[in-house]
Amino acid sequence: MKRETITSKRTALDLAGLLARLALAGVFIYAGAIKLLAPAEEFAYAIETYKVTGPQLSLWAAYIMPWLELFSGLLLAAGIFTRFNALFCGALLLFFEVLLGQAWLRGLPVTSCGCFGSGGSNSLGYEFLQNLVFLALAYLAFRRGRFFSADGALGGGA
Amino acid sequence: MRPVLNKTNARLAALAGAVLFTATVAVLLARQYALGPARPAPDFRTFGPPGAPVRIEEYSDFACGACRGAADKLNEALKVYPGKLRVELKHYPLSNIHPWSLQAAAYADCAGARGKFKEYAALLFEGQENWGEAKAEPGEFRDYAGRLGLDWEELKACSNDPKTLKALKLDIAEAELKGVNATPTFFINGKRAVGPAQLLEQLRKLDKLLAADGAGR
Repeated sequence: MKRETITSKRTALDLAGLLARLALAGVFIYAGAIKLLAPAEEFAYAIETYKVTGPQLSLWAAYIMPWLELFSGLLLAAGIFTRFNALFCGALLLFFEVLLGQAWLRGLPVTSCGCFGSGGSNSLGYEFLQNLVFLALAYLAFRRGRFFSADGALGGGA
Repeated sequence: MRPVLNKTNARLAALAGAVLFTATVAVLLARQYALGPARPAPDFRTFGPPGAPVRIEEYSDFACGACRGAADKLNEALKVYPGKLRVELKHYPLSNIHPWSLQAAAYADCAGARGKFKEYAALLFEGQENWGEAKAEPGEFRDYAGRLGLDWEELKACSNDPKTLKALKLDIAEAELKGVNATPTFFINGKRAVGPAQLLEQLRKLDKLLAADGAGR
């Protein structure tokens, strides 16, 4: 009886990990793809409004970041090197959180956070809190994200 | 402890490579077919109702002769198919061969912000032989402003405003993303047409497109 309870608890956790992994992957794939299909300059202008990087560095970031988001999202969705990718997504989210936080504290007039393309976005506070939810998903995907994954199927992965 | 470079991880790495390669090709193709989200042109560069069944996006250069011809054809088409076409004009100044095109586009946008885009654009096209390859900044830009009753100093300040230049750069970046490298290039309901001849061919098919939409003439 006790063993059954433990097993069903494990299954529930695995399922939660799978859902977290897929949800986070979806967020990253969407965020990356929407930016990749628009001019990098648009995203670069959004990055500039955080007043952390100059125009040139912002443009380089705008070229590279969407590919990183798309690739890590896809690998996470397929469950390839799941733990490494969940960790990487978590690190990216933490980095975004620092950027959002400093802009929020400095009261910068950021009209588009650039999170999902360069259209209008929610307030910085809202985006900050939303990122915390994504961070929780990354944690869950890191801990329990190998259920129904390529890693699981091939018995490897980091 | 298992070595990192074992057979399983090598298989996973190969799988990762395949996924990333496919995704890269898909993104590049989607860009070529202009499948990205539409970035609307400002209202003064947009003609026709928002719900029109045929949407034409034009990338144009004020110093290009073919763009001048195409502008006439499009104006005609807007009259022939009232309410059925929506034309969005975007700037793609070929600055390497037309040294004043970017400036001309900036002046046209500033005139547009003052309600005179169409008029200023028409004058730019009409006089393109005079200013297109000028060595020093052409006086025509100022003349055209005067003819339309626009304050020259105000227009000049607006044309140097970073916001004006930003809008132009975004148009150029968007064109490059879509693989535009000649003017005029059109996207007619997403279908690419380069030059007035292809535009005409597509316009001839408009009746078909409109009939398919059920709008008719």
